[in-house]
Amino acid sequence: MSLAGVCQEKAGVKVALTGNEAIARGALEAGVAYAASYPGSPTAEVLGTLSRVAKQFNLYAEWSVNEKVAMEGVAAASFAGLRSLVVMKADGLNVALDFAGALAISGCRGGMVMVLGDDPNAHSSVREEDSRNLCKAKHLPVLEPSSVREAMEMTREAFALSEELELPVVVRCVTRVCHASGDVELGELVRPERKPDFTRENRVITFGIKLHAGQESKLARAAHLVCDSAFNSYTGPENPERLVIASGPCYMYAQEALEMLGAGGTTGILKLGTTWPLPEALLLEHMERVPEVIFAEEVEPFVEDNVMALAAGCLPGKVRFYGKRSGHVAGPAGPGIGELDPDVLAASLGNILGINYSPGTIDNKQEALSLLEDKMPDRELAFCAGCPHRASFWAVRAALELDGRGGIVLGDIGCYTLGMARTGYYLLQTVHCMGAGIGLAGGMGNLSRFGFDKPVVTLVGDSTFYHAAIPALINARYHNSNFMCIILDNETTAMTGHQPHPGRQHTAMGEPAHTVPMEDIIRGVGMPYIVQDPYDVEASIEVIYDLLRQEGPRVLILRRSCVLAAVRGKQKDRVYVNEDKCIGDSCGCGRFCSRVFACPANVWDAEKGRARIDEAVCNGCGVCASLCPQGAIMVERGV
Amino acid sequence: MVKEPLNIIITGVGGQGNVLASQVVSAAAVQAGYRVAVGETFGVSQRGGSVMSHVRLSLNRPCGPLIPRGQAHVVAGFEPLETMRVLLDYASAETVVIMNNRPNYPLGCLSGEHRYPDPERVEEAVKKMTPRLHVLPATELAKEAGSPLAANMVMTGALAGSGLLPFGRECFISVIGSLFQGIVRDLNLQAFESGFRRMDG
Amino acid sequence: MERGCEFGMPGQEQLQKEVMDRDLCSSCGICVGLCPYIKTVRDRVKVIYPCGHEDGTCYMVCPKTPTNIGNMDRAVFGREREDQALGLFSGIYYARALTGKPGGAQYGGAASALTGLALREGLISSAVLTGGDIKSPRPVLARDADTVARCAGSKYTGVPSLLELNRAIRDGLTDIGVVGRPCQVVAVRKSQQGNLPGPQYPSSSGIGLVLGLFCFWSLAPELYGFLQLETGGEEIVKMDIPVEGPVAYTRAGKYSWQLEDIRTFIKKSCNTCFDSTSEYADISVGSTEHDPVWNTLIIRTGKGLDIFNLALQKGVIEIREYPPERLPLLRRAALGKKMRVLSLLEKDLGNTGYITLPEKYRRDLETQWGGINQ
Ligand SMILES: Cc1cc2nc3c(=O)[nH]c(=O)nc-3n(C[C@H](O)[C@H](O)[C@H](O)COP(=O)(O)OP(=O)(O)OC[C@H]3O[C@@H](n4cnc5c(N)ncnc54)[C@H](O)[C@@H]3O)c2cc1C
Ligand code: SF4
Ligand code: SF4
Repeated sequence: MSLAGVCQEKAGVKVALTGNEAIARGALEAGVAYAASYPGSPTAEVLGTLSRVAKQFNLYAEWSVNEKVAMEGVAAASFAGLRSLVVMKADGLNVALDFAGALAISGCRGGMVMVLGDDPNAHSSVREEDSRNLCKAKHLPVLEPSSVREAMEMTREAFALSEELELPVVVRCVTRVCHASGDVELGELVRPERKPDFTRENRVITFGIKLHAGQESKLARAAHLVCDSAFNSYTGPENPERLVIASGPCYMYAQEALEMLGAGGTTGILKLGTTWPLPEALLLEHMERVPEVIFAEEVEPFVEDNVMALAAGCLPGKVRFYGKRSGHVAGPAGPGIGELDPDVLAASLGNILGINYSPGTIDNKQEALSLLEDKMPDRELAFCAGCPHRASFWAVRAALELDGRGGIVLGDIGCYTLGMARTGYYLLQTVHCMGAGIGLAGGMGNLSRFGFDKPVVTLVGDSTFYHAAIPALINARYHNSNFMCIILDNETTAMTGHQPHPGRQHTAMGEPAHTVPMEDIIRGVGMPYIVQDPYDVEASIEVIYDLLRQEGPRVLILRRSCVLAAVRGKQKDRVYVNEDKCIGDSCGCGRFCSRVFACPANVWDAEKGRARIDEAVCNGCGVCASLCPQGAIMVERGV
Repeated sequence: MVKEPLNIIITGVGGQGNVLASQVVSAAAVQAGYRVAVGETFGVSQRGGSVMSHVRLSLNRPCGPLIPRGQAHVVAGFEPLETMRVLLDYASAETVVIMNNRPNYPLGCLSGEHRYPDPERVEEAVKKMTPRLHVLPATELAKEAGSPLAANMVMTGALAGSGLLPFGRECFISVIGSLFQGIVRDLNLQAFESGFRRMDG
Repeated sequence: MERGCEFGMPGQEQLQKEVMDRDLCSSCGICVGLCPYIKTVRDRVKVIYPCGHEDGTCYMVCPKTPTNIGNMDRAVFGREREDQALGLFSGIYYARALTGKPGGAQYGGAASALTGLALREGLISSAVLTGGDIKSPRPVLARDADTVARCAGSKYTGVPSLLELNRAIRDGLTDIGVVGRPCQVVAVRKSQQGNLPGPQYPSSSGIGLVLGLFCFWSLAPELYGFLQLETGGEEIVKMDIPVEGPVAYTRAGKYSWQLEDIRTFIKKSCNTCFDSTSEYADISVGSTEHDPVWNTLIIRTGKGLDIFNLALQKGVIEIREYPPERLPLLRRAALGKKMRVLSLLEKDLGNTGYITLPEKYRRDLETQWGGINQ
């Protein structure tokens, strides 16, 4: 939150930073020269922060078109001897994996750190993934911070470790670290001279199995090194009855849970900050002393499986293990599913220790609830008030109904993924990963040869378009697949906080960009396209309808800036309901704006039987006014 | 300090500026020399879902980012229904609640499938759980200050004015002052002050 | 007018089931714009979202929902008909425009001339017309005589032009004129019946004048693609469907086809249409079937007679006696259509009683049909 804190020159000062800012600060303290990322929660603000201070620290920061490209750019800087940082969410690692695997073999020169954001509980992801398994598969060392403070320190130290091993080092952060904040004690800022050095002599080649052997020995060295790492530590009694092995914020939860259970006197905690390769000697030393080991980690039983494998070889049958595999460490959704927290851990540990844990509560809960009669209404996710996607989805729905052939709609990843729910009139029928909608649509569109006769529509965002849609589009053009691609172009990467993409006029660092208009790409691929403003719903319906009735691959760009970006710093239009004109529930409307169109600012005044606009929520787009059958919603232009 | 650590939950609906409020509190706390841990629960919920920030202040020990159930000492609720939701999980009989009285309707209520509970009933229900409830028209106060969106700063002001935090107004003012510029700064400071005055004394 | 319906109160759901899903919609457009849930593109009229109401104005005003001919006669004319072929009328003539005949007029230009006169004289505030190109016609609300002239000429597709009527009423206009196909005329009359579920047609809703066209069928939007292919995208300035078969004129020349070539485009709804001469209009206008510069004019209501007299007095149109020998031909065509519809409806098991004929009408119809066939 505090850019000033990130740039604070004085070492030793304590400032409040978010986890992502702390990571950025750690990189600055390591003298990072080159940073790249594709925005993704929970790590999006790392590069956001670095890009803002880039000039000040003479570093290069870019929002790359996708994670693979980001990782390649960063690796190049490392090959030239510079310290470099690549940041992505777990899903992004899947995109970059091909290169990551090759890079792990070739190794790197300048310290190269990969910050990976895992999202247990999928707070801002379509699924929860544990990237540690992939890191292991690719032979990459992994560090795991347990707090904001540690996120900063680990990032900083990871550069040195990377140089020592000549391997990229992963800092795996979960949402509860990235999106947390806390006080950190700042270290020294360094400003090394940037001297990229890559000559005809340098060869960084991945070829042949000899390198594989080298890779294994690097990892063996890493396993040795991490045994002495300060990021691993033991707290608890000298002779514990059992040991909790905890990584990430689960370490903090475990401490609190033991405290709540009053079991700190019998149970020790081994905090693992280096989760791959395992500090085997350290682990064995601790495990030798206890008959019981409990694992606290998110998401998959990664440490658990690997420690158990280690013990099976070295301490066979000596230790009893409790964790996700045994079913003991589990949240409400089951072991290995969702997040842990102090309560989940207290309940799990209590269960293992035979101590009854009941979370704090109040007596009058039921009474209080009964006062509300109804069940507490849930809060479904919705497009923001004034979001152009709402208008787009309404138009698509209307056009499909008018077309009447049961057209299908495939989805993609971005704000508009919410179109699978009420806010998008439940239109989306598939949601997978970046760009998948276009590939799927290509496949569906090829099924016409077998008699599949439903129109196929796929919706994709602008940032996702640049990220992952283009090869699928080329494929569709080449094979003349029969579908309609709608690009919901809100001129930004909205979901993750409005980062620019190649369609924009500026780069991450605010420098003028050489814009790559999507029209040029589509034209280059040889597809027909139309551009339409989704706020003009009636016109959009007509355009979509007409395109539905055409053949071959075709593109519609529904272009309108994300409303949050559009209203920032501007006087919004005032929108209000003329109560004399509103006919509310009656035939002729049936509360269209609040009940059906469902902009969160269109509220229903049950007492008056009239619609109302919640001025605290309304963003003044005026779309509801254009759709109101009575012309009862008025728009007063802001100045 | 009364509690160690002091557990505060700031809750509301995505878009209400929850996170900013929790950041202001934590920055003010660090400035005042406290250790803080803030856990934000928002993610996709920024799009109209329930959001919640756990803010934990301590003199000297590091805390995890999440408050255990039943252990919130202060709840600042930007929206009645969300306040209720948080209290059900995190309140104890001693929890102090500062609540904005302005409802923000979930889609299901807008569509008429669900009913938003009667605001007075929500207040009663909250009082049933914890008698220490302060209700204020934060959105209205924010409108008076210049924009309904500044309700988060009104609530932050109320929190500061409640006397429940171990540091004073000045820390907040200096943080807000450093975060914003120009008329936005004035607006936010004014909103903060109006919330502060409501609760102070 | 009947509120007949199988299940409870009739509304959007029944409209969809009984009319749209069975392809009986004639794209009159009266249900478009009554609410946000029924929309149109390229002549297709569809429910895009369930409105949630049980009963609805849309069902009540749709010309293709159950309609009792006897009740309609009484509602519009205050009495029942004797002539089952042409309905109630006070006079029938040949007519053509004398002044203000638009270049693009279909035949005698009487429809445009009368509409223009009514507008100029302030008898109507505006007129719901069908303008645009033959290949992409569109509903138009004309506020002046120039616009009326630009809308001249028949577009042979089912254009949902009555959506403009709804818009005009919503915008507070009164004394609105309508030029429409027979189904559209029925829809307009149904909208005037009062007692509707929604407030869309306030009782003061002034329909100023209803000019009905003769129409034996209209065509589906697939026609546009056909014309596009056949004429290679040339602009079609006029189209006609005389007995010899359909013809289209472009600036470059003339295209002609057999009726068979376009028969597949005939809207299914038109096969069950009972009215070919706009029996509920104030004045009905059609062709003469032999002389392309004249129209047939049927004066039906008092309002119709007034505008007719005014037009004569102002020299806007001239008239001729309707040739007595042609009347049986016209009546035969109209009766024949009705007989075909009745036998079709009887065979159709899914028929929800779209046309209800009083017993007497039914008997008279058979007698008159028998008589004319002698
Ligand atoms: C679909 C259709 C089928 C017809 N079938 C027959 C028939 O079988 N026998 C017969 O005698 N006459 C028929 N007519 C009527 C005929 O074509 C002329 O419209 C009528 O004779 C008036 O001629 P006019 O010279 O006065 O027209 P004009 O002065 O040229 O005016 C024509 C008027 O028709 C309106 N109009 C044009 N297209 C449509 C449409 N699709 N729907 C509603 N209104 C429209 C225009 O708004 C304009 O006001 C039909 C008309 C249509 C639209
Ligand atoms: S103008 Fe209407 S649709 Fe747009 S934000 Fe406001 S209430 Fe929502
Ligand atoms: S005939 Fe007219 S009213 Fe009936 S469904 Fe079709 S357009 Fe609507």
